[in-house]
Amino acid sequence: MKFVEDQIHKVKPLFEKGGKLEKFYYLFEAGESFHLVTDKRTDRGAHVRDSVDLKRMMITVVLAMVPCILFGIYNTGLQHYTALLNDGQIEALPGMVDMIVYGAILVVPVILTVYITGGIVEGIFACIRKHEINEGFLVTGILIAMVVPASIPLWQVSLATIFGVFIGKECFGGTGMNILNPALTARAFLFFNFPSQISGDKVWVGFDRGQEVISTATPMGLAAKGDALPEAYSTMNMFLGTIPGSIGETSTLACIIGGIILLIAGVASWRTMLGMLVGGFLFAWLISLGSTNPNDIAALGAVKHLCMGGFAFGLVFMATDPVSSANTDLGKWIYGFGAGAISMLFRIINPAYPEGVMLAILLMNVFAPLIDHYVVKASIKRRLNRAGV
Amino acid sequence: MLELALKAIFIENMIFALFLGMCSYLAVSKKVDTSVGMGCAVWFVTTVTCPASWLVSNYFLKPGEQNLIGQLFNKPDLDLTFLTFVSYIALIAAMVQFLEMFIEKISAKLYGSLGVFLPLIAVNCAILGGSLMMNDKGFTFPEAAMFGFSGGFGWLMAIVVFAAIREKMQYSNVPKGMRGLGIAFLTCGLMAMAFMGFMGIKFPEKKAEASENPVAIVEAVEVETVDVKAVEVKATEDSVEVKAAEIKVDAPVQGDK
Repeated sequence: MKFVEDQIHKVKPLFEKGGKLEKFYYLFEAGESFHLVTDKRTDRGAHVRDSVDLKRMMITVVLAMVPCILFGIYNTGLQHYTALLNDGQIEALPGMVDMIVYGAILVVPVILTVYITGGIVEGIFACIRKHEINEGFLVTGILIAMVVPASIPLWQVSLATIFGVFIGKECFGGTGMNILNPALTARAFLFFNFPSQISGDKVWVGFDRGQEVISTATPMGLAAKGDALPEAYSTMNMFLGTIPGSIGETSTLACIIGGIILLIAGVASWRTMLGMLVGGFLFAWLISLGSTNPNDIAALGAVKHLCMGGFAFGLVFMATDPVSSANTDLGKWIYGFGAGAISMLFRIINPAYPEGVMLAILLMNVFAPLIDHYVVKASIKRRLNRAGV
Repeated sequence: MLELALKAIFIENMIFALFLGMCSYLAVSKKVDTSVGMGCAVWFVTTVTCPASWLVSNYFLKPGEQNLIGQLFNKPDLDLTFLTFVSYIALIAAMVQFLEMFIEKISAKLYGSLGVFLPLIAVNCAILGGSLMMNDKGFTFPEAAMFGFSGGFGWLMAIVVFAAIREKMQYSNVPKGMRGLGIAFLTCGLMAMAFMGFMGIKFPEKKAEASENPVAIVEAVEVETVDVKAVEVKATEDSVEVKAAEIKVDAPVQGDK
């Protein structure tokens, strides 16, 4: 550690004012604060002293996502070998290690691609606009990697990352100023531009990257078509996550673990989470009451709907993004409830997009400032009334 | 009716799907309160002009028995539809003039903040576009009224949401070149992307039923391909009877149609 510190202090003068590499100061700064504790102190104005800064907060989110990442890697391998087994190409399922190795071969490049392209965009912006590189990108990056299928071509991943970081975040002024969740913006960009690589039956089980050799429908895809779900897609399997789907979203259990970490650390808002849970449950339940066809997507029932697809992942990691969600307490309830309700609505009544969670959260991101505006206004009115003005 | 309303508000939103009425949308959306005023004005005008244009179009312009001018001059085939644009614009302008006087009377503050954009509603393409679309789609009178009402409401919702976002963005450190309209356009595009979730929603339509009476009796022609969604097929030795919902025949036209 001492060696790293010495090296950093040695090159520091090069990057400071008057140094040769002055232009790249913010790249250096990012490296420095990544390795060492910052020696900066707020020197003026009123401020709250708290050791939870942006860096710690973001790292907590990444930590909370670790169960999802690990399970995603395992599940990618599992789905691949299960598909091979069903296809008759292998006799029996290999051991867990094989699955993890295969999963890692597919998943790790996706994560690396996201971080490298996203890092370059952030770095360029930091140098030109002279602001620091925020750790927020660590979260955005891993979120993008978790919501794409493992078999996605890497150039699409990097294109989507550039779109999400550049248009979704940096154009609005960087971390903390975006109106839409950058990770979801990237996912939506992929979804509308390359629908054949991110939805449909053929993408969820990677065989060789880009070559669609085996295909397996996700439970969501089957249900949307009105087919009966096979036994492998039982509620329990959906809860554990041994079903095909995007890398990190399949396991409800891993999402719950992550959610608990976020709640204990106080990073995510329980109001948003609970609101979305209630909204989704209520709507799925209400719609299932009115459905007559037992194979219909509406008739699956609320519990299955909550475990299926990206609902849990969206609820824990996407909707609770403190920047793009509503900021007032009451607003968070409304925002969460709306996101849950609309995602069920999209899922069930919109045959074009069986997975509605992403679009529902984006839509609520759009509405969040308005919700806040009226909540604040109502609160001012109430207080004025109370004061008798 | 409800389906029509939902379609006009969400699926075919004037702003996010059709991009109509953008100029006032971008110009009067800096503050939520002003945008509510502007949105309500547009809402009111579409609500009134859509059914009104329907009446004008059906009773004065389109040829047929119901045309009042035709009745007056005893010429039932009088076709005045070439006057559609002129008459719609006149109608809208009259409505806007009325609205302007009304707002000036009740709220001078709102009148001031809407400024030049209030009279400019007269040339707002969302309103003329709404009337013309209503014309194209062949609505009945209640449908036209509903379309105007909900289309205008969709516009109101879009501008209010946008204004709230722009109010929030005042605190953002947007790059210099993007400030103002640049970031507004970008935001609007991203919002349209978020609204794309509504596209593709289909409301259950009534299934086509086989009609008892044959729609057309096709003389024996050389047919290249026939695409039939058959409901019932009866074949005997010398004839084939098809009860079908949809028949597409690809045949070279011989002589008269």
